[in-house]
Amino acid sequence: MTAVVLDAEQVERTYAQAERGARGVTAVRGVSLRVHAGEYVALVGPSGCGKSTMLNLLGAIDVPTAGRVLLDGIDVRTLGDREATRLRLERVGFVFQRFYLMPTLTAAENVELPMAEAGVARRERASRARELLGYVGLGDRADHRPAQLSGGEQQRVAIARALANRPALVLADEPTGELDAATGDDIIALFERLNADGTTLVVVTHDERLATAARRVVHMKDGRIVDDRVVRPLLGRTA
Amino acid sequence: MRARFFFVVIAAVSGSLLHAQRPPARDTLAPTGLREPPAIRTIAVDQRLIAREGVQLGDTLTLRSAPTADRANARAQRVVIGAVTAREADPSEVARSEYRVRLHLDQLQSLIDYGDRVDRIAVQLHPGRDATRAAARINAAAFGFRAHRSRDIAVTAGRTFQVVERFHTAIGVITIVASAVFLLCILLLKVDERKRDVAALRLMGLSRATVARALTLEAAAVALIGSVLGAVLGSAIALAVNWYYQRAYDTPLVFAFITRDTVLLATALSLVLGVLAGLGAAWRLVRTPPLALFGR
Repeated sequence: MTAVVLDAEQVERTYAQAERGARGVTAVRGVSLRVHAGEYVALVGPSGCGKSTMLNLLGAIDVPTAGRVLLDGIDVRTLGDREATRLRLERVGFVFQRFYLMPTLTAAENVELPMAEAGVARRERASRARELLGYVGLGDRADHRPAQLSGGEQQRVAIARALANRPALVLADEPTGELDAATGDDIIALFERLNADGTTLVVVTHDERLATAARRVVHMKDGRIVDDRVVRPLLGRTA
Repeated sequence: MRARFFFVVIAAVSGSLLHAQRPPARDTLAPTGLREPPAIRTIAVDQRLIAREGVQLGDTLTLRSAPTADRANARAQRVVIGAVTAREADPSEVARSEYRVRLHLDQLQSLIDYGDRVDRIAVQLHPGRDATRAAARINAAAFGFRAHRSRDIAVTAGRTFQVVERFHTAIGVITIVASAVFLLCILLLKVDERKRDVAALRLMGLSRATVARALTLEAAAVALIGSVLGAVLGSAIALAVNWYYQRAYDTPLVFAFITRDTVLLATALSLVLGVLAGLGAAWRLVRTPPLALFGR
């Protein structure tokens, strides 16, 4: 069995209401989810079912009001803002629906950004940024700025950026949400290749094609997991 | 040679012309055989008058001491245009539309029937001579005169300019305050539209300090570029203002100019304001939880 990267135990997240005396809104109710290294998990469900809240909890962006989340063995509830920020920098890669590339930086500089924050030497991060851009098929676009790239290319830069610090886990929130079908297919294929090369992926999506490409599909409804199914088992990899 | 009639509006007699009135040294300036002053004297004419009337050096004119309507009672003199004078860069001259001609002192006295009297005489000293002592000696020696240093007269005449200068300072202060508020608003708006980018950076693991530093640097760069553009724009406007008013008033006076000190002051102020505004905006953003910046 491979190592556990993520371990959520009876996680609950309740948001307080602004009105005094009003009951809080519970977005996630007693969810348990364990993700092993090398897995490719799709978190699916209708809007408002709590999957984005779950992703925030898994990525140490938010802390549960009950239960606990262990990320690479570290309980995120015990971390202060600075430690949680550092944990995200070093252990988690994020891919957003809207890319969020820095418009004034080139593709290579965008990829270098998390490495610069992590203290990687200039030459090493430049070399790795080129390597990662080559990996996502943008070796010849390294010096272009985001405005000079298509939506699909920008998302591929964002994926390269997410991989910059060799994270234990990549979390993606609707990564094909802003893309047309053909470009979305390219990103889905890239995710499959990433996973095949050993990257652990957790993807929140409405996109059936992206969910179908995952090895494990977790269905959520009303803040609970209603179905958790391995559709394509991991083969030939060990911890 | 054409002859024209002019009514003398203002005749200025300068120190240099007083010198010119002296008989020339026989061996140096006066041609052989010419012992008496020429029958027709020369005058200096304002170049704008030359341009308007189409006359030129050497033309003979008739000057009268009164307008055409009073010609019967007016004194007249035939003169030759011997020199052309240009307006000097003097603010007090700018709004004056009259044309000036310069005559020799005795010529002017004769023309306007003023007799052997003058109201003011400008005395030019040799470089390095003490004006205070010279004025004191004149005051001690000559009854009926009062000598003043030009600097003292300038102080009295410069009060208007002191008021104008204070007015300019007030405008400058108001402009700086308004610009600061404007810059702050622009930067707050700019930072506000970047809040999702900031949230993404924070989620990716960039520290508050890094994000605040990046935003402040960006604000400083915006302020610096803005001040450079402002200096270029200001210089261009100053050129345009000078071009227009120098043509309109026919004067070499410089109406607007931007000095190196002005540019340095503007740049420094803008930079300080930009950094402060950037710091304020960045502080506000990095203290907000990333998810709140995402609107969740």
